[in-house]
Amino acid sequence: MRILVVEDDALLARGLTGVLIRAGHAVDCVETGLQADKALRMASYDLVVLDIGLPDIDGFEVLRRLRFRRAATNVLVLTARDAVQDRVHGLDLGADDYLTKPFSVTEFEARVRALLRRTTLPMGAVSIGRLTIDLEAKRIRINGTSTDLTVREWALLELFMARPGRVLSKEQIAQHLAEYDTQLTLNAIEVYVSRLRAKIETAGGVRIRTVRGFGYLWEVADA
Amino acid sequence: MPSHLSRRRSIRRRLLLYLIPALLLLVVSAAALTYFVALHVATYAYDRSLLDPALDIAANVTTDANGTRLTMQEQAQQALLFDHEDTVIFQVRSPAGAIVIGDEDLDGPPDVRPGERVFFDGRYRGEPVRIAAVRSDTGLYVQVAETLHKRNRLIWQILAAGLLPTLLIAFATLALAWTGVARGLAPLEWIRTQLLGRTADDLRPLDEHVTPVEIAPAIQALNRLFAQLRESNEMQKRFLANAAHQMRTPLAGLQLHLEVLLLRNLTPEVRAEISDIHLATVRAGHLANQLLALAKAEASSDDSGRLAIVDLYAVADRAVQEWVRRAIARDIDLGFVLEHASIAGDPILLSELLDNLLDNALRYTPSGGSVTVRCGCALGEPYMSIEDNGPGIPEAAHGKVFERFYRLPGTSGSGAGLGLAIVKEVVQRHRGTLRIESPGDCGTRIVVRFPPVVADTSTSPAATTSVLGAHAGASA
Repeated sequence: MRILVVEDDALLARGLTGVLIRAGHAVDCVETGLQADKALRMASYDLVVLDIGLPDIDGFEVLRRLRFRRAATNVLVLTARDAVQDRVHGLDLGADDYLTKPFSVTEFEARVRALLRRTTLPMGAVSIGRLTIDLEAKRIRINGTSTDLTVREWALLELFMARPGRVLSKEQIAQHLAEYDTQLTLNAIEVYVSRLRAKIETAGGVRIRTVRGFGYLWEVADA
Repeated sequence: MPSHLSRRRSIRRRLLLYLIPALLLLVVSAAALTYFVALHVATYAYDRSLLDPALDIAANVTTDANGTRLTMQEQAQQALLFDHEDTVIFQVRSPAGAIVIGDEDLDGPPDVRPGERVFFDGRYRGEPVRIAAVRSDTGLYVQVAETLHKRNRLIWQILAAGLLPTLLIAFATLALAWTGVARGLAPLEWIRTQLLGRTADDLRPLDEHVTPVEIAPAIQALNRLFAQLRESNEMQKRFLANAAHQMRTPLAGLQLHLEVLLLRNLTPEVRAEISDIHLATVRAGHLANQLLALAKAEASSDDSGRLAIVDLYAVADRAVQEWVRRAIARDIDLGFVLEHASIAGDPILLSELLDNLLDNALRYTPSGGSVTVRCGCALGEPYMSIEDNGPGIPEAAHGKVFERFYRLPGTSGSGAGLGLAIVKEVVQRHRGTLRIESPGDCGTRIVVRFPPVVADTSTSPAATTSVLGAHAGASA
């Protein structure tokens, strides 16, 4: 995967680049917002690791210009936890995920993996351990044995796979699964999730964790 | 402070101090002037009327062989000397000075030449009198004296008529000065109420146009001070923002490099040492975050403009992603019981509040434990609470845990003791209350209650749309 690191602190930039190269990615690194903007215009990246505090134009501006061009590049924002936090959370500037400084390398790696997995989603079949998800045929196979999913279960699976590593609230799931004329109760969501869970968790490698009172988290064991 | 300012002074007293002597001088000089005018008027008028009997008598005195006589009817003489108020007497002396006719208790006249009229003050039986003296054609001295009753009465009348208005003006001036000071200072009272109604954060300029022009310079000076304070607040905020970036970025770099290093093949000794450095770096990063959060909560001045209607549900919702991951890493069951509840608040500080409560709960709850975040409205009061089934906080320490750098004795976590101090600061910013409840021997429940929003704008559909929802919508 091709990744652009935008970070003006040389120490941090070297560290991030090193971690990403070790994970087998092709990494470009720039120090300023304008350089980042230029790089993003010239080449296509799967992921941008974007610091907000930059010497010329800030990370938000880079992000705004990127989204203005309707580029679908994944963006992982690095922030110091203050006023920036609110803007990342509150205003949807089009960042896909964010990390507050300082952060641990394992957390960084996990976020990068999750975001890159989204990029790979539309391509044919995805294998996680013994579970194979065929996105074209809309069916799953465990150890080669086909298992049928209902329409709702499939929609649920797609939703989880589109948001790996993120907790989804029941309200969100209900909103996503609801058709024009049907209102899904939160109890119904619980039923769908437990059915999907029964069908896929036997494969191992994938787990739908319950976040008590809130929703669910799709967890993928790293192969 | 200069010595002349060290004693508290009253404008009113000072004004009266200037006014009273000035008015006193005015009244006294007016009285003196009026008195002399009155004296002059009275003397001139009554002297002329005193001259008539003197001339009459002089014209009617005859001297022959029988001696000197007054050739005047008794009645005419009485009419001549009659007066309602004053005693009028006369005396005729020979050119040699011997008393010829009339009253004897009158001193001799000064030297008067024939045809001349002389007026002078004298005494008659111990009483002051005014005397008119003339000389007859025959060289006799004629004196007519009268007591001063009607003259004095006239003087007093003129004096009173002249002085009464002056006194009235003087008293009116004093009264006006007394009330005028109060009225003149009324704009200061307006300023006082304006300033009293403000919080320490409110540094908006006062409207100088509502005050009199005399006070405007003071208002301008105050406003200048406000502007300087605002600017220094702004500078402090900018400094904090810069400090945040400057401190955290190198710490992030340091931590990252140490972690990369730890992934390598290392001898156990080197690994142990680097692990220690790594732990210290993580703590330093955490501490930097907390110190800045605390400073920010304290310095969040003039945030009256930044206070917005915040849904506690949304605040909790925002914390879910990060804290669920941390809870999973620590094998703690993090649960939520969330209902919508709107308060007037600062969303950033409220996130800071919840982050620190969660950090604290996760830090001190053992693996396998559970932490539950709740928010909603109880008895009309918005609240947010966090409960865990950790070791709990002993009753005796309830007051202390919110102090800065206080740590429970015997706790082994890596915290610096700032988390709950930040919580306290944020709660105070929002005029809320903070309570620790320790149900039984085990577990802690920290409840933050907020004042209800005055204009009820709770649970609007827009407020319930979480950020996550927006994300999901965008990517769907």
